[in-house]
Amino acid sequence: MTEQAAAPERELTALEQRFPGVVTLDERKGYEGHIVQADKLIEFATALRDEMGYDYLSSITAVDYLTDDEEAESFFELVYHMYKSTGGAALVFKIQIPRDNPVVDSLVELYPGADFQEREAWDLMGIKFEGHPDLRRILMWDGFEGFPLRKDWKEPYYEEDAKPFGNRWPGGQVYRIEDKNPYGKNNQYPDGFDPSTWKESEDPKLYEVLEKAAMEYSEDIDTEQVVVNLGPQHPSTHGVFRMAVRLDGETIVALKPVMGYLHRNHEQIGERNTFIMNMPFTDRLDYLSSMSNNFGYALAVEKLMGDKATPPERAEYLRVIMAELTRISNHLWAIGFLLNDLGAFFTPALYAIEERELILDIFEAVTGSRMMCNYFRFGGVARDLPEGTEQKIKDLVLERLPRKIDELDLYLTENELIRSRCEGVGVITPEDAIAYSAAGPVLRASGVPYDIRKADPYSIYDEFKFDVAARYHGDVYDRYLIRVDEMRQSLRILQQALKKLPKGEILNGKNPYQVRVPAGEAYGRVEGPKGELGFYVVSNGKPNPWRYHVRAPSFINLTILEKMCVGQKVADVVVNLGSIDIVLGEVDR
Amino acid sequence: MGFLGDPIKFIGDWLKSLIAPLNLPPVWETFLSTLTSVIAVASFGLLIVIFLIWVERKVAARFQDRLGPNRAGKYGLLQTFADMVKLITKEDTTPETADKVVFNIAPVLSVVSVLLIWAVVPFAPTWFGTDINVGVLYIAAVGSFGILSILMAGWSSNNKYALLGAFRAVAQLISYEVPMLIMLMVPVLLASSMGMVDIVARQDMWFIVVAPLAAVVFLISAIAEVGRTPFDLLEAESEIVAGFHTEYSGMKFGMFFAAEFLHIFTVGVLFAILFMGGWRGPGAEQFPLLGMVYLMAKSTVGYFIAIWMRSTLPRIRIDHMLAFNWKFLVPLSLAILIVTAILHKLFAATTLYIPAMLVGNLVIFLASLGALRAVAQRQRKQRKPFKKRPVAKAA
Amino acid sequence: MLLDYLPIAVLVAVSTILAVVVVALGGILGPRRKDKRKSEPYESGMRPIGPGTRKMPVRFYLIAVLFILFDIEVVFFLPWAVVFRQLGLFGLIEMFVFILILLVGYVYAWKTGALEWE
Repeated sequence: MTEQAAAPERELTALEQRFPGVVTLDERKGYEGHIVQADKLIEFATALRDEMGYDYLSSITAVDYLTDDEEAESFFELVYHMYKSTGGAALVFKIQIPRDNPVVDSLVELYPGADFQEREAWDLMGIKFEGHPDLRRILMWDGFEGFPLRKDWKEPYYEEDAKPFGNRWPGGQVYRIEDKNPYGKNNQYPDGFDPSTWKESEDPKLYEVLEKAAMEYSEDIDTEQVVVNLGPQHPSTHGVFRMAVRLDGETIVALKPVMGYLHRNHEQIGERNTFIMNMPFTDRLDYLSSMSNNFGYALAVEKLMGDKATPPERAEYLRVIMAELTRISNHLWAIGFLLNDLGAFFTPALYAIEERELILDIFEAVTGSRMMCNYFRFGGVARDLPEGTEQKIKDLVLERLPRKIDELDLYLTENELIRSRCEGVGVITPEDAIAYSAAGPVLRASGVPYDIRKADPYSIYDEFKFDVAARYHGDVYDRYLIRVDEMRQSLRILQQALKKLPKGEILNGKNPYQVRVPAGEAYGRVEGPKGELGFYVVSNGKPNPWRYHVRAPSFINLTILEKMCVGQKVADVVVNLGSIDIVLGEVDR
Repeated sequence: MGFLGDPIKFIGDWLKSLIAPLNLPPVWETFLSTLTSVIAVASFGLLIVIFLIWVERKVAARFQDRLGPNRAGKYGLLQTFADMVKLITKEDTTPETADKVVFNIAPVLSVVSVLLIWAVVPFAPTWFGTDINVGVLYIAAVGSFGILSILMAGWSSNNKYALLGAFRAVAQLISYEVPMLIMLMVPVLLASSMGMVDIVARQDMWFIVVAPLAAVVFLISAIAEVGRTPFDLLEAESEIVAGFHTEYSGMKFGMFFAAEFLHIFTVGVLFAILFMGGWRGPGAEQFPLLGMVYLMAKSTVGYFIAIWMRSTLPRIRIDHMLAFNWKFLVPLSLAILIVTAILHKLFAATTLYIPAMLVGNLVIFLASLGALRAVAQRQRKQRKPFKKRPVAKAA
Repeated sequence: MLLDYLPIAVLVAVSTILAVVVVALGGILGPRRKDKRKSEPYESGMRPIGPGTRKMPVRFYLIAVLFILFDIEVVFFLPWAVVFRQLGLFGLIEMFVFILILLVGYVYAWKTGALEWE
């Protein structure tokens, strides 16, 4: 627990006055927010939602503060970031629980969007959430033993706690520990486990949960119901993603998504990397829009670094230009593949991807790589625009892209088949969207015009004039239309940015190999093309982060998939999934 | 006239001269000549599939702004041979719990059912497999074998996905048989005969000019019969992986594949024969080869329309598809039949024949469009928007 | 007359033999590596649950019945269309009555919801 230092009296904050004794300000250096007593969590959260208007739970992070220090206690800390759906800054509060028996009340009753995030905290950290209806592992498989994100968990070929690893360059030669650890010997088994007698289980818990969910939908369980697995090997699930579906004829009565087939424990690797090494690593999250990932991470660490990492103006404009180009390229891909899911045999997908290729050419000219760009640095960007690129971007943005987007709009929007397949399918009400923590186009297509670029502006977005795209029907057709709208708004921003692009420096200071980040925590979020992409970084002064958590929009947007699909036909599941627009790199991390 | 004038007759006479010295009874002679002509037709059918797949891939690629296969042979012409070789040398996996006999018969049946249609196709005034006087009825009957093969494939795979796919495929195919058959009546009505040769012989004025709407409805239902986009639920990759042929691999899958392409081309050929005058054209009576060329050219029109629709349209969901059929196409086709019958009776030999038919078709077309639009508007109105909220701004 | 159908019979035989030969060729030329996993029915990478054959849902049966009704109607159209020219006005009116009676049944089916998919 934090020690209340015998400091001079300070004024109580508004929140402390409202909840005397329950809430205390978090006074650790570099930290923000309040600490709430663990047993009063539900009361506090209810009051937040009902009285103070904080109805959007954005992110739940679990941090493991393990110390060898005898004086300090080890504890788990759960960090909650709440927002108002009418805009504004975050309300951050934390719960601290003892490490040997981590139990906390679950927020699922109040904020259904907490569902997957609490399961992830259970899976990777071992924090039990009481009252959670379905606390199973989400990213690891069901029989896994251990909690991989804890600080005292070592993987089978553990080398060291932080990179650069000493044993990789003995005498200047590189070798990897896997070379000394042959295949088959790099496994770690729990006690009493015998691999030769182990039988594969078919994940019975999943099917039990499915049956329970089906019973909630309709009281009498018809024995004619079929359980079908869509995925993981399926041409239209946008990656290795699996949905266990219970069907009654053609209607879906229950759907449970199963993910984790691409889980790489990105967050633990992020803890091992130094801060600057994490920058190319974030490219691999949402691998289709790498610039946005970089942006979010850069914002988080720059918050920690303070003023000496403020980017110069040219760098800010370049960042915005790259982010908006990424948004356009991502939406082109999303629309193309939504049409693919609808059965249009790749033709609109190829037309859209053709435009995306031109954007990727620009990325390659500027950063050297098409997809894994690694462009942002703390305090600016890595490279300036080479000769002639600015003109190329201008041609693309001012002349070609508006024409091509209008063309796509002309072909697709009024098509009778698309309208009849997409209208009224997969409707999400705005209240549901906010409660289930949906973000990005999914939220805005349901009539909640919440765009972080306007609601809680970052970088220089408040200098641009653009509209927040919003649609008010909440079905698949609107989620398609809103992506077209957002592309047009991005073009507006790009035109303004290109006109105002100043000359000057692109990086604040020199380009360091290692950065010194002062201790503290920061949550940097950007409006990524798929939604709110947030990075929660905790630093303790060392060259590598203490905790590095990604608030992945695709992962949290999937919470509402079940509600969206139940009651619809099985032919619409793939269309619904395509309209949420997930990328497995982000979902599984 | 020689070889170029009438190649088949030339080859036929030459073959007859070969077997004449054997002095076989005439029954044997007929049998042998039938056998050779049938082998010719069957081989033509199977070989043209190879060319058709190449055409499909190239044309679909051009729609998608790319080139299509162009490495295997000049212009990629040998691509289909390469694919066939690949499919033949693939392993033939049969699921253990599958019903082996039915599993193996299904692809054979699907190819046979399409090839049988070619028996009555008149390529030229004197070139046809056989001139049975119930040609149209025969085509309708034989086309239904293919549906049976789909159900056999789905059932015998012992796979939930395949079975669901097979049921829906069969539901789609038998539904679209109805408007197709009713529209097949229109050329029969106008030609007063069911035989294909007669229908072509009576087309001094192509039936597509006299009954354009019937041609369009026939083409739509026939494309749905084959299972092409936008009606390609049978093999919707996005939904139930590969539908009824999920469990097939190797050449058995190749047979389904070939049967589908041949079926589309057959639909094109039937469209050309029934509505576009078949082999008729300048000089076709004297040079049968020209007649065949005309027929092939006209059938590529139907085939091209099918490829065009496949490349540009998304898929229809099954309930929309069946509603489209039962609630729209069936009454529409009955209306077309009735109006065509009445107008044909009234104006048959007069000069006002063609304008009257065209006007009749136009009236039905506009009426059906109006009905569709009214239904769509009503559906659109049911989609209510949520309440507007103010844009979220930083406080 | 019956001899007209001889080519069809021969075509059935020839095309069956051709198709069987091609399929058999595929079976012979391909490798034969049986594996437990390959022989299981395919369900997107997971083991399927439940039996592979199921009862047919009722709505498919409804469509089949509707199809039969209309198919019989079409079969009656066929001879009428062939001799249409000789029938005169009487034939036309009689066929319209026939269609009308069928349309009554069709409207009934529509109104009772037999044409809906669920």
